[in-house]
Amino acid sequence: MAKLSPPGDTDDSTAALVIEFRNVGKTYKSLLGNSVKAVEEFSLVVVEGEILGIAGPNGAGKTTLIAMMLGYLRPTTGTVEINGVSPRQYIERNGIGYLSELIAINPKWRAETALVRFATLAGIAQSEIPRRVGYVIDLLGLAEHRDKKVKALSKGNLQRLGLAQTLLRDEQILVLDEPTYGLDPVWTQRFRDIVGELRRPDRTILIASHNLDELQRLADRVAIIDHGRLQRVVSTGYETGGYESAAAPVATRYRITLASGHDLIRAVFPQAEDAGRGEYDVTVHSLPELNTALADLIGRGALVASVIPERSVLEQQFREAVGESQ
Amino acid sequence: MSQASSLARYSLWQLRDFAVDRGLSILIIGLLWGYALIEPVRRAVGSSLPGTASPLWLVAMQVSSAIVSVSVLIALNGIVSADRKAGYYRFLFSKPVSPVFFYAQLFFVYMVGVLTAMLVLSSLLHKMLPTFSIPHFLLYTALVYVAMGGIGFFLSVTTRYDWLSLAAVWLGARVLRGLYGAGNDWRSKLVELLPPVHRLDDVANSLIATGSAHTADVLWLFGYGALFFALGLAALRWGQLAD
Repeated sequence: MAKLSPPGDTDDSTAALVIEFRNVGKTYKSLLGNSVKAVEEFSLVVVEGEILGIAGPNGAGKTTLIAMMLGYLRPTTGTVEINGVSPRQYIERNGIGYLSELIAINPKWRAETALVRFATLAGIAQSEIPRRVGYVIDLLGLAEHRDKKVKALSKGNLQRLGLAQTLLRDEQILVLDEPTYGLDPVWTQRFRDIVGELRRPDRTILIASHNLDELQRLADRVAIIDHGRLQRVVSTGYETGGYESAAAPVATRYRITLASGHDLIRAVFPQAEDAGRGEYDVTVHSLPELNTALADLIGRGALVASVIPERSVLEQQFREAVGESQ
Repeated sequence: MSQASSLARYSLWQLRDFAVDRGLSILIIGLLWGYALIEPVRRAVGSSLPGTASPLWLVAMQVSSAIVSVSVLIALNGIVSADRKAGYYRFLFSKPVSPVFFYAQLFFVYMVGVLTAMLVLSSLLHKMLPTFSIPHFLLYTALVYVAMGGIGFFLSVTTRYDWLSLAAVWLGARVLRGLYGAGNDWRSKLVELLPPVHRLDDVANSLIATGSAHTADVLWLFGYGALFFALGLAALRWGQLAD
């Protein structure tokens, strides 16, 4: 079950700090003098080896935050640092694997030559380029599209091309903005496998996504932002056995399916709601509470077929965080 | 591998882009324009009259200097702003590459492209008019590229409508100098700060014909363009790529 921590905290004090947002704010001003605060007082530390998710509703400030992290935008207030230097300094020295939400590659380029160009800019040795390009083409299943112009690629193939250019070099930092947008279920699953393979103790990965299920599966922690502010940071691991930190325990709804012992359910879960076809909706406040009750139910002779949370823990946290801020 | 080395290798892609996207257009426009304006004069008067007294020479001068200006406009159009508008900068500059060096290199690669296109066109013109000097014309092209292109580069970094802005600045400077340049009031002092386009005609006549020009004019034109090119690089260094 997820563990909550106060905004900006990291629970791994031994890992090296890689990315630091310190009281970052970004205000857009129009020519008429109107201003919009896209990001406000955002502080967060991302450590080496971590996969951090960034979740938030549309317009929450995710993309602005990433643009500042890449040095494409300058913060109005505060600072962003990567390994102790400004983002541009870091990137111009080391590069970063970046998949943007908008896959903007010159439509006149061919898929393979686009990768060759990016590989050249990435500083990959001339002799090594064919091998690296071939590798990412195979990895992302682009072999049959390699000679197509970018403008002829479908949304899904374009997304895979964007991801391919991200993986050309063995980068220490990867930033993936809506990485599975436009991918079919097969490639969405493949992407998750690839990210799993990319996890390494010296690599830091940021994933911004609307897909909370994806973040729950991939990320170690998820920063939930709304209205440009960091609302909370949720650890997605289940090992803590409950909500331990600053935030209060959260009630979670589960749907329990019983193969037999229907008459026993209310003895264990007095508030259980009958959803029909042997299914019951129950509400608990922690994993130990759920497990104790299930053990009791099974001990009494019921046969449990499945236990499914109505919403993922992250989804629940997200709803609360976004709701709280509105 | 160093950034300088990867950028140097990438210059071949930049040159290829120039040839496909701009060089071909410059050649076609130059050929059509040159042929349409110069050939009738050549047929009418021939190239028998020697040197700069020939009507053919005067037309060739006018047309070739105009083609240079148009070519620089085509070359510099969107040199930086196109990548920003289309969002191409996102992938380009997540690589270990400085936008300052990337676009500075692009500026000079495009200069090579424009000079090559002008070499082709002036070689054709030289066949029609043997007194037309190819080296002098290329010298003039290089000067206009820096003078006009430097300003175009700056506008491309700082605005989204660089082609229009450059045309407006170039034309506006001529008009304002015509209106206020001769006076002695604050307005005439102010227009002195505008691009020195009024010196271009004299420089064109002199540089293309003789290979030399008034040093002050050349320095003023070159310095103005170089200053704005440097300002463009500074804006890239300290500005932001995203809007």
